[in-house]
Amino acid sequence: MFDTLPSVRMIAVAALAAGLAAAPAQAAGPIQVSSKVMVEKKTAAKDGTTSVTLAPTQKVVPGDKVVFVLDYRNTGAQPISNLVLDNPVPQQLAYRSPAQGSPAPEVSVDGKTYGELATLRVRTAAGGLRPASPDDVTNVRWRLASPVTAGAHGQFAFQAVLK
Amino acid sequence: MTTEPSTTNVTTIFNREYKAMFVNKVRLLLLSGTAVLATTGTAHAAHTAAGTVITNTAQVTYTVNGTAQSTNSTTATFVVDRKVNFTVVVDQAANTKVNIGQTGAVTSFKLTNTTNGTQDFLLDTAQAVPLGILPGVPDFTMGNLKVFVDGNNNGVYDPGVDTGTFVDELAADASVEIFIVGDVPTTGSPNLSEVALHAIVAAGGAAGTKGTALLPTDLNLANADNTVDIVFADNDSDGLLYLGDIARNGQGIAYAAYEIGVRNVSLTVTKTARVISDEVNLLNPKALPGATVEYCLTVNNSTLLTPASNVVLSDVVPANTTFVPGSLTIGLPGVPGIACTLVSLGTLDGYTGSYDTANKTVTANIPTVIGGGSVAASFRVTIN
Repeated sequence: MFDTLPSVRMIAVAALAAGLAAAPAQAAGPIQVSSKVMVEKKTAAKDGTTSVTLAPTQKVVPGDKVVFVLDYRNTGAQPISNLVLDNPVPQQLAYRSPAQGSPAPEVSVDGKTYGELATLRVRTAAGGLRPASPDDVTNVRWRLASPVTAGAHGQFAFQAVLK
Repeated sequence: MTTEPSTTNVTTIFNREYKAMFVNKVRLLLLSGTAVLATTGTAHAAHTAAGTVITNTAQVTYTVNGTAQSTNSTTATFVVDRKVNFTVVVDQAANTKVNIGQTGAVTSFKLTNTTNGTQDFLLDTAQAVPLGILPGVPDFTMGNLKVFVDGNNNGVYDPGVDTGTFVDELAADASVEIFIVGDVPTTGSPNLSEVALHAIVAAGGAAGTKGTALLPTDLNLANADNTVDIVFADNDSDGLLYLGDIARNGQGIAYAAYEIGVRNVSLTVTKTARVISDEVNLLNPKALPGATVEYCLTVNNSTLLTPASNVVLSDVVPANTTFVPGSLTIGLPGVPGIACTLVSLGTLDGYTGSYDTANKTVTANIPTVIGGGSVAASFRVTIN
């Protein structure tokens, strides 16, 4: 065990300037997580199939589906355990589903209680409870059960619709 | 543990390092305030306003050698683009009924802005040449066509009040009434004349200033994530049968019609007189000096189904007689020789009467005589 703790610096997020830059020069932390927002682009292949790829967000208008991608990489020398990525869903977006190929996140409708959407309840104006719908999701969260070894990386993603 | 570089193909991007080896107790660190939303437009319930900057940041917690740490992801940002959409529809249940030579005849339209932002709209109008299901030549051509916006939002055209000629600063999901005003020619066959209202979406943002027409952002241009692109999403507002509008062009057209219907009715007036009393005979009063005489005017509209509007009866009181004040009654016709009028219609709006002392003229205003119906007016005089 180490006597000194690895230093972790909060990465200053430049809210407006970051744009789509996938990984701006960050301070050396053991875990680098970059957030990207993409749109699905369908392209027809020669054999008649349609493949879905992710493209940068050129035009996003209300009703469009976007994909938020979290890209994590362990740049340190030590394995990282208990990695939790908690992504508050921006207010103007309605959560829809995990992106194709991504593990399903746990979701929350209040930022406190996480679980499968089917198990969550939302308090109604009348004081009762109703089952939560994807529109109610305020946070999505992924918890990695296994340690991220040095140099390992991966991605999570979810789909949302611009309200 | 795979470490191949990630691509943007979603079918391959996700590494499968998710196998559970052991489950640790996970601490959740909730950071508030990272999901900063900077908005330049007003947040709207239905659609996110154009220009809204949406940012996404994930909070990350983890442990290294048993020590809890936290950090944030980078922030992904995009700007909500302008989804231009609006509808323009005719807003009257039937054709506007007009008469030959009528000026200032109004048709009404409603324009609804469903863009995710405030827009101006440029307006123009023209005589429509009907296509498709309607014949190709208008039956008559309206003159002096003008477009006005309902400035006081009362849904009715007010000459001199509703003077705006373009829609100024119409908020998202707001509607405004628009009027076409025109003059009916003095000749023409009794039929239809269609007019078209043409609306073009324009830039908003400056109250009282007519914005310039929007142009959609070229889809082939390089990515412009931090600018508000313009995307036209409007439908073909006049359908496939009409060629005036197409989908996704930032324009809308709606049509309304002026209709010259029946232009005259057969209106007849009969006048009778009856001596009511002569101060001498209780039965069969005679027309003696001092006797009271009731005159009965009955208006009959024998054209079925077409009402006559604004009928004005005027009658000069005969020489050597004096009008009995307050004796004018307008009502449904009674039994001839017994009573001129039944129930008075004077309680209804517009059924009014007056007596001009100088000209000795009795005037009765009857708003409507229905097709096939009659209205009577009676007044009394005394013989000098």
